[in-house]
Amino acid sequence: MAANYWASSQRLHWQMSRAKLAETRRALDAMDEKVFQDFPLPHYRLLSIYFNQQLIRLGRRMQTRQQALATAQLYVRRFYTKVAIRDTNPYLVLATCLYLALKIEECPQHIRIVVNEARTCWPEYMPADTAKLAECEFWLISEMNSFLIVHHPYRTLRELKITLKLTDSEEETASQVINDSCVTDLPLLYPPHVIAVTAIFLTVVLKPSSSMGAFGSSVSNLRVSSAAAAAAAAAAANTMNAQERLQHVVNWFANSKVDMEAIIDCTQEIISLYEVWESYSATGEKSCREMLGRLVKQRGL
Amino acid sequence: MPPYRSKVRVLEKYHIIGFISSGTYGRVYKARSRTPGNMQEFAIKKFKPDKEGEVVQYTGISQSACREMALCSELSHPNVIALHEIILEDKCIYMVFSYAEHDLLQIIHHHSSSPTRPPIPAATIKSILWQLLNGVAYLHQNWVLHRDLKPANIMVTRSGELKIGDLGLARLFYKPLQSLYTGDKVVVTIWYRAPELLLGSKHYTAAIDLWAVGCIFAELLALRPIFKGEEAKMEKKSTVPFQRNQMQKIIEILGTPRKEDWPELTSMPEYSQLPMLKTCPDMLETWWMSVTDGPAAAGGRSFQGFSGSGGTAAGGGLQNTKAGLELLKGLLTYDPMKRWTAQRALESPFFKEGTRVSLHAFDSHENQYPNRRVTQDDNDLSLPGTKRSGLPDDSFAGRAPPVKRVKEN
Ligand SMILES: Nc1ncnc2c1ncn2[C@@H]1O[C@H](COP(=O)(O)OP(=O)(O)OP(=O)(O)O)[C@@H](O)[C@H]1O
Ligand SMILES: [Mg+2]
Repeated sequence: MAANYWASSQRLHWQMSRAKLAETRRALDAMDEKVFQDFPLPHYRLLSIYFNQQLIRLGRRMQTRQQALATAQLYVRRFYTKVAIRDTNPYLVLATCLYLALKIEECPQHIRIVVNEARTCWPEYMPADTAKLAECEFWLISEMNSFLIVHHPYRTLRELKITLKLTDSEEETASQVINDSCVTDLPLLYPPHVIAVTAIFLTVVLKPSSSMGAFGSSVSNLRVSSAAAAAAAAAAANTMNAQERLQHVVNWFANSKVDMEAIIDCTQEIISLYEVWESYSATGEKSCREMLGRLVKQRGL
Repeated sequence: MPPYRSKVRVLEKYHIIGFISSGTYGRVYKARSRTPGNMQEFAIKKFKPDKEGEVVQYTGISQSACREMALCSELSHPNVIALHEIILEDKCIYMVFSYAEHDLLQIIHHHSSSPTRPPIPAATIKSILWQLLNGVAYLHQNWVLHRDLKPANIMVTRSGELKIGDLGLARLFYKPLQSLYTGDKVVVTIWYRAPELLLGSKHYTAAIDLWAVGCIFAELLALRPIFKGEEAKMEKKSTVPFQRNQMQKIIEILGTPRKEDWPELTSMPEYSQLPMLKTCPDMLETWWMSVTDGPAAAGGRSFQGFSGSGGTAAGGGLQNTKAGLELLKGLLTYDPMKRWTAQRALESPFFKEGTRVSLHAFDSHENQYPNRRVTQDDNDLSLPGTKRSGLPDDSFAGRAPPVKRVKEN
């Protein structure tokens, strides 16, 4: 239920295995061989980064809270497990997901405002008619089986901040990592508390290189190699570490019932996101924009 | 993009038996599944689509419909109405619920309109209250405020199971991004509205639902609303008027609120209005006696027209329960911080003494209540957006509380 993740629709209906997710995406791609050939798209990882950037752009225009953005991102991801990207206008889908997320997170914006702002962001692709967005909302809700309430890791982070005596800046960094997890498939694969613990693990145990300063909200600068992550994870599991506070966290990891394997898997997912993200840069953005633009234009979406 | 098409069609799946009611947000129909052998009955709530001129348009789903869809999809409790599915078709939203044959408004009306005004049997009242509190406790444990508890929104199945319905105003109160006040023009029908809301409080707590439960408990005993105030109409769109008459009705029975009992009282936005109201002593005990024992016990007079019915006292069999009065007092406590929570109320000795609480409200007597009125004049679901005027809302239109909530955006 709303307060209880274990009885929530997210756990009961919207959590899946990696294998199932991969299979679902394969099936969607295979639905129309010709369209698949004619309209190549970047890898979903790159598209995720692009969608995230675009949602943040739109969200900024309406001073959207991070939680609503996170909800919108999960809606996008859920929708595209049911519908082939190539059958949609992704810009309209992004705007619709944000419009609905704003309502569900209790900070609604009028449909007219959302459409106008979306048109400022994507004048070539965003339909001006509000009825188009409203129609897309029906499609979105229907594909999500009306399960609209989403559990995010932020709440667990706030709770664990106290238990683990995290500093404000650690909390801030961890919540940036949570933001970044929205750019991955993790919210479809793991419960929010596992992602929260991963974010803390990354923040406290693996420490982002301090020379990089604070995380950017769109592009994170966290630099850790997979090898370092694996080593630190092993270290944490074996609870050998020097500093006291770190020890406290590590002890907690060891004694808690958190599934360390899941944490390591999530850690690796986030680290590989950062790697992709680093290579994404301007060219990645350009190719996403061009391929999606061509798709929307030529298919008349 | 291709036009949206529903994969499921309401009329292919359900057979519409008739029309039940039309409310703020839409119309409710009684239906049966078309699956052979499935005899289950359903109530289908169809949300009004918006129209621009004569053409039905997609306009974006209202905040209230979004909340109702989102919350009902998560909730699962024997005392909360079960949602089966939501169908989005032809620009309309259809929410398919399990059917409940009765509601508390109808049950109360059945008793109050019979010539002898027979009371609702004590065991039934106890069962209803127990189930209602269980449903409310579940909602509150899940951070859901109902905000519109009233007899019409509380349904009872043929077998006597209570189902809280109409979550159209419900909200999550855990970490709201916006204050729980903004955006909702009117919350809780005035007769069931908690005093802190009447006095202008901007913050809702779970306690407002328990005030409403207290009012409903009292109404089950007295067969009429305990605080039947007259709504002060909104003059300007922006300002919510002080509900003077409603506050006075409460004061006449509970006495003038005192800051010794309610420390926050003096900082309530409408506190300055209080001295303008008639001051009264606390009369709740007298009220209780007059409705549970009949006028004789209350000094030969009925209290402000509240009385049990002739021979059998209202709430027959409750006269000796001090615990019942304590429970009512707990629920109708002015200070929301001291008002009993659902959990506290469930622990009341009221539910432990006397006959055991039954999970079926009609165990003690045959279910004597007439079936919900279902009319045939408007069961054409297929016409999207047809608004027909002049249809009776329900059989007790005259008893309907004076304010219908304002439709949000
Ligand atoms: N599950 C159900 N079974 C039987 N009848 C129902 C059911 N749900 C609703 N109804 C009937 O329809 C009426 C309106 O339903 P509901 O309260 O959900 O809608 P509403 O539009 O919010 O109405 P209102 O503004 O009058 O509160 C109820 O008072 C009840 O009589
Ligand atoms: Mg109602």
